[in-house]
Amino acid sequence: MSAPATAVDLDLRSVRPKSALQRYFSETGTWILVLDVALIVLFGFLSNDFVFWSAANIQALMINGTEALLLALGLAMLIGAGAFDLSIGANLVLASVLGAITIKAVTGPADVNGNYAHLPLAFALGALVCVGSGILYGIVNGVLVAYLQINSLIATLGTMGIGTGLALVATQGGDVTALPGQLQEHFGLASIGFVPYPTMLSLLAALMLWLVLRFTRYGLRTLAIGSERTSAQRAGIQVKRHLTSLAALAGGLAGVAGFIDIARYGSTAQAGHVQDPLVAITAVVIGGTLIEGGRVSIIGVIWGTVLAIVLQMGLIIVGVQSFYQLIAIGFVLIVAVGLDRYRVRQRRDA
Amino acid sequence: MSTPQGNALQSRHRPVKIAISGCHVAKRFGHVQALSDASITVRAGEIVALFGDNGAGKSTFLKTLIGMVRPDTGEFVVADKPVAFTTIRDAHELGVECVHQDLALAPDLSVVDNMFLGNELLRPGMLGRFGALDRKRMTELADQALRELSIKLPSLKVDIGALSGGQKQALAVARAVMWGHTAILMDEPTAALGARQSEIVCDLMRTVADRGLGVLVVSHDLPRVLKVADRVTILWRGATALEAAAADLTVPEVVATMVGEHRGAAA
Repeated sequence: MSAPATAVDLDLRSVRPKSALQRYFSETGTWILVLDVALIVLFGFLSNDFVFWSAANIQALMINGTEALLLALGLAMLIGAGAFDLSIGANLVLASVLGAITIKAVTGPADVNGNYAHLPLAFALGALVCVGSGILYGIVNGVLVAYLQINSLIATLGTMGIGTGLALVATQGGDVTALPGQLQEHFGLASIGFVPYPTMLSLLAALMLWLVLRFTRYGLRTLAIGSERTSAQRAGIQVKRHLTSLAALAGGLAGVAGFIDIARYGSTAQAGHVQDPLVAITAVVIGGTLIEGGRVSIIGVIWGTVLAIVLQMGLIIVGVQSFYQLIAIGFVLIVAVGLDRYRVRQRRDA
Repeated sequence: MSTPQGNALQSRHRPVKIAISGCHVAKRFGHVQALSDASITVRAGEIVALFGDNGAGKSTFLKTLIGMVRPDTGEFVVADKPVAFTTIRDAHELGVECVHQDLALAPDLSVVDNMFLGNELLRPGMLGRFGALDRKRMTELADQALRELSIKLPSLKVDIGALSGGQKQALAVARAVMWGHTAILMDEPTAALGARQSEIVCDLMRTVADRGLGVLVVSHDLPRVLKVADRVTILWRGATALEAAAADLTVPEVVATMVGEHRGAAA
């Protein structure tokens, strides 16, 4: 028996190419963008004097979305590889507390004129501590999930409790307040033109991760692990190490968000991050990232974050009691996952 | 493995006699003696079929050959040199690739990305140092590899999930051939395929062997594989019961040996 001379024509019926427009509108992210615009228009008309459309409000939207976006981006990378992280909010809080304590320790109390010593050093060290603590937190999660093979929901639920508790222990239950005002002035509330610094930072992170997923080996391997973990293993990829690095990345981003948090408020806000995982998970899955992994839409994460934040602030501005936001976001999350299931079924059938 | 470009698909004839072999391999899992005295030898350029009833130890034996399972005892040779693999990466490095029964593809990745998974090509210069993929070159090489095996796919950019079972199988074989330069091991390559597609995969085996690689195929598809194989090894209860030329065997004889009726009857 010799090699076949004619070309092997395997069953070619299964693939039909789509047009660019079809592809664009088959992306969930596109529909979320449409929904974002619709909600912004709606809340504008519902608000007094169209205040929802005011520059100040749009800027507030951006600032509020910044931390959520950073958390959602890290989570999206993890979900892309088939892992999960419930502890990102606790990670943010712990990082912010440690960073704030560091800043206060370096500057010492203000002198009689209200000036602080060593401000640049204090801020640099504070940022370093925030990011470092975030990364370390992430590595702990990664080791628990990848090497000790604890289910990532359980492992990060556990570290969420530990992290939240440690932050409270470090502050004896209160918040670290009255950080030097320059932190807000020069970073937290500063902006280039219209766009706040922190928002720029988070959009830059989004751009980087988009490039990573689309054009690099790291991104390819991340999606391969999420798509079929055993296949990735058999291809010789060091899955455990890769998962740990992803958890460290998500942790680092949470640490950055922690620094932004203290830079915005001039103090820590430990009670303000209970809903963070809810918002971040909603932003990720609603934007078209498959919850099983293997497919991540960074642009979808951005539109998903916008949706969560617009919903949150829109409800406040039209005068709905703030606790209704929780209901709205929970509802959106369930609808988003419902759509996600539908997509998976369609893909299986295809 | 380190220089995939140089590795790519041209004639890889090497003056190697034994592509891969495992001798007197034993492996015990708890109370189960999965393998007691299993031996197989695949020479370069030939197809060897590994037959055996369910539970005979075929899969375990295959896994010991590629370093996925560490045997208790046994001697292994790859490309005429004694080896002791501890991970699947060791096997990859010596050009031994396995086509697993579940194919080990990532359904959300494109054909090209799957072909290069674990062996990605990076762009030259700065971008490469940041891990940027050279997708253009990857696509060219994947296209060339598929063409050389006469495999036609609608597009190299579609996700694997959109391909048919036969296409996926052909792709998995192509990937193994692309990176394997010593031996290709296949676990039930025709189990999920129809008649025509099974023939295609058998033709692929011959194409691969003709390039000087050793091909080891584990299968239950006795008639078809017996036709394409050069030699046959039959496992019975964890030990090699028979090694013979395929031409000397008929399907009923193989079946009889598989179930232990012709114990010791060497051809």
